[in-house]
Amino acid sequence: MNDVVLRTESLYKSFGSLEVLKGISTELRKGEVVAVLGPSGCGKSTLLRCMNLLEKPTKGRLYFGDQDMTDPKINISKIRQKVGMVFQHFHLFPHMTVLENVTYAPIKVNKVHSSEAKEAGMELLGKVGLAEKANVYPSKLSGGQKQRVAIARALAMNPEVILFDEPTSALDPEMVQEVLEVMKALAQSGMTMAIVTHEMGFARDVSDRVWFLNQGILEEDSPPVEFFSRPKCDRAQQFLERMLK
Amino acid sequence: MHDRKKRLFLTLLAIAMAIGVIVHPFNLFRVNAQSAVGKEELVMITSPDYPPYEFYDTTGGERKIVGFDVDIANTIARELGFKLKIQESDFNGLIPGLQAGRADFVMAGMTPTPERKKNVDFSIVYYEAKDTIVAIKGSNLKKPADLKGKNVGVQLGSIQDQNAKAIAKKVPIQIKQLNKVPDIIQEIRAKRIEAAIIEDTIAQGFIQSNPDLEYAIIPSEEQSGSAIAFPKGSKLAEPFNKVLYRMKGSNELETLAKQWFSKNTTALAAQKAPAETPKKGGLNINFGRLSLDDYLFILKGIPTTLLFTLSSVFLGLIAATGLSLLKISRFRPLQWIANAYTSVFRGTPLLLQLSLIYYAIPQLFGFDITPLQAGVTTFTLNSGAYMSETIRAGIQAVDKGQSEASMSLGVPYPMMMMDVILPQALKNILPALVNETVSLLKDSSLVSTVGVVETLRASQIVGANKYIYFEPLLTAGLLYYLMVMGLTSAASTLERRLKRSE
Repeated sequence: MNDVVLRTESLYKSFGSLEVLKGISTELRKGEVVAVLGPSGCGKSTLLRCMNLLEKPTKGRLYFGDQDMTDPKINISKIRQKVGMVFQHFHLFPHMTVLENVTYAPIKVNKVHSSEAKEAGMELLGKVGLAEKANVYPSKLSGGQKQRVAIARALAMNPEVILFDEPTSALDPEMVQEVLEVMKALAQSGMTMAIVTHEMGFARDVSDRVWFLNQGILEEDSPPVEFFSRPKCDRAQQFLERMLK
Repeated sequence: MHDRKKRLFLTLLAIAMAIGVIVHPFNLFRVNAQSAVGKEELVMITSPDYPPYEFYDTTGGERKIVGFDVDIANTIARELGFKLKIQESDFNGLIPGLQAGRADFVMAGMTPTPERKKNVDFSIVYYEAKDTIVAIKGSNLKKPADLKGKNVGVQLGSIQDQNAKAIAKKVPIQIKQLNKVPDIIQEIRAKRIEAAIIEDTIAQGFIQSNPDLEYAIIPSEEQSGSAIAFPKGSKLAEPFNKVLYRMKGSNELETLAKQWFSKNTTALAAQKAPAETPKKGGLNINFGRLSLDDYLFILKGIPTTLLFTLSSVFLGLIAATGLSLLKISRFRPLQWIANAYTSVFRGTPLLLQLSLIYYAIPQLFGFDITPLQAGVTTFTLNSGAYMSETIRAGIQAVDKGQSEASMSLGVPYPMMMMDVILPQALKNILPALVNETVSLLKDSSLVSTVGVVETLRASQIVGANKYIYFEPLLTAGLLYYLMVMGLTSAASTLERRLKRSE
C-alpha cells in the first residue's frame, strides 16, 4: 500500500439534487498514468476535481498517501502543493510573465530563493520547449504554448501527482500534438498522472490503466490493451465505437 | 468638584487675589482666570468671512485671521495672561463647536439673543451695530414695511436672520437664509431676492464694490449688538467682562471700532476698480480686481485639497478592500455587517456624516479631532462604502479559474487574494476608481463647512474680503478642473502600463 498516492473510498458528490458521483472507490499508484474516459456528463472531471478538493465530496473518503483529505482539520493547501493540476482553459495568471507564472508558487508558497526558483523555472520552460518565451505575458502565447506553460507551472511545485482535466480540449487541432508530446515525455519520466481526455490514441499508447466512468459509476478499471480490445460492459463498447469511428 | 478641593481652591484663590491686588490690578484677573480654567491657552472660534469683524488677511498670500473681534480678543487674552489660539468654522457651526468643547469662547459679531442664551452664556455687549436693507439701486426700500410681499435674504443663523423673523411677524415677507453674505449679495444682483437685511458696517463695504446696490439703515427697534459667547457656566465670562468694561471706560473699544470700520472702507476706497457702473445684464467680471496675493491665497488651497483627496482615496481603498472581502466571505454575519455599513453610508448625505463626525467625536470620546482629520475620516468611511461595491464586483468578475489555479498550487487564500485576484480586479475596475477619485476631489470642498481652508474655501474667503463673487469662484473652478485633468491623465498612464500584459 505504500506506493498508493491517491485513494478514494466510496466517494459521492452531488450538486443540489443531481448526484454526479455515486460511490467511487479506486486508487492511483506511484508512477502510474491513468486515463479517465467516459461519455460527457459521466462525472470524470468532477472525480478529478474532487481529488484535490476543488470540489468537496458529499460523502466518502479521500486519501493522499495516508492522510485523510476529508478531515476538516487537515491543511488542504499543504496537500495541494503536492497534487498539481492542469486545466482545460489553462488559467495562467495574465498579469505575470511566463517565468513569473512558473516561479510564483515556489517563491511565495515554498519560500524558495528567487534566483534558485528562476533557474529551476527556466529549466522547466526548456523542458516544455518555451525557454525563449520566459519574459512575455501569457496573452502573447498560442493555446498550445499556454498549456505547456501551465504544465511547467504545475511541475515547478515538484508534485507527487498531476491531474489533467481535458488538457487538449480547448486547443486548435494542430496544437494538440505539442501538448501530448510534453505529457508523454512526462509519463515516461515516471510522473504519476490522472488524465481526463478524449484523445483515445493517446490514452491507449501512454496510459497504464483506463478508468471508464458512466453515470457517476466507475464501470471499468483495466489496462488499456484490455479496455480498447475487449471492453467488458456494453456502455464502454458503445462509447468506443462512437469515439473510434 | 469635591468640597475639600473646592475649599482648597477658594483659599488659594483668596491668597492669589490678595497678592494680585497688591501687585497689579490686572494680575487680579490673570490669576483668577487662569486658575479658573486651569490652562494657559484659550481657543477662540470664529467665522472669518465677516469683515471687518473677522476675516482673512491675504496680504502676501498669508493665512491670518484679523479684524475688530480679533483685536479685542487679543487684548483680553493678553490682560488675563492667556495665549490665544483662533479656530474657524461656519457661522452656524460656532455654537455647536463651543458645545463640543472645541473652543473656550466665540467672537463673531454674535448678538446675544434669547434663543442663543439658552445654550451659551454671553459677555456684555461690546459693540452695537444697526441693520440695513440692501437692495438694487432705485428699489427705494427704506423701512421694514416696504418689504411687504418681498423675498428677503439673510445670513443663516445671524442676528439679522432673527430680526427678519421678527419683521415677518408684522409684515408678510419670505425669508431666504443663505450661508454667507457674499451669497446674499449675488442673490440680490441675480434678482432672486428683492432685498436683504445686513449689518450696516458690512453693507457699506458691499455697496462700495457693488455700485448697482443701495442700502438704508433700519430705524432701530431691535438691537443687534455683539457679545462674546461662552459655554454654559464658563468661569471666563466674569474676567472677560471686567476687561470689556475697562476697554469701554478707556475708550479703547471705540478707538478700535473706528480704526477697523474706517480701515475697511478706506481699504476699499483705495481699490480703484468699481468706479465704472456695471453694464445692465452682464456679470461684470474683471479678474484684475483680485490682487496677486489673492490668487496666491487661493493657490495655497491646492495642497490641502490634494492631501485631503489622496489620503481619503488611499485609506478609502483599504477600507473598501476589507469590506469587499467581508462581502464575498462565506460567513453570513460578516456579509450582513458589511452590507449594513454600506447601506448606512450610501443612504445618508455626506455633509451630514461630516458634521456628525466633526461635532460628535469630541463629545463622545473626549478627544479633539481637527477638521482635516474629521474630513479624511468621513470621506474614508464614505468612499470605502462606495468603492467596496465596485471592488466586490471586480473580484467576482475575475475568472473563477484564477482562484482554482491558485488553490491547486497550494496558495493560501490571503496570498491568492493579494497576488492573483486583487491585482486583476483592480485593473478591471480602475476606470471606476478614477471616477470615484474625481468625485471625491470635487466633494472635498464640503470640508470647507467645518473650517478647512481648501481651494473653494480659500476662494470664498478672498471673495468675502473683497466683496466680489464670481472671479474667485471662477478661479477655484479652473483650479479644480486642472486638478481633475491631471488626475485623469495620471490614471490613463497607469492604465496603459497595466495593459502591458494584454
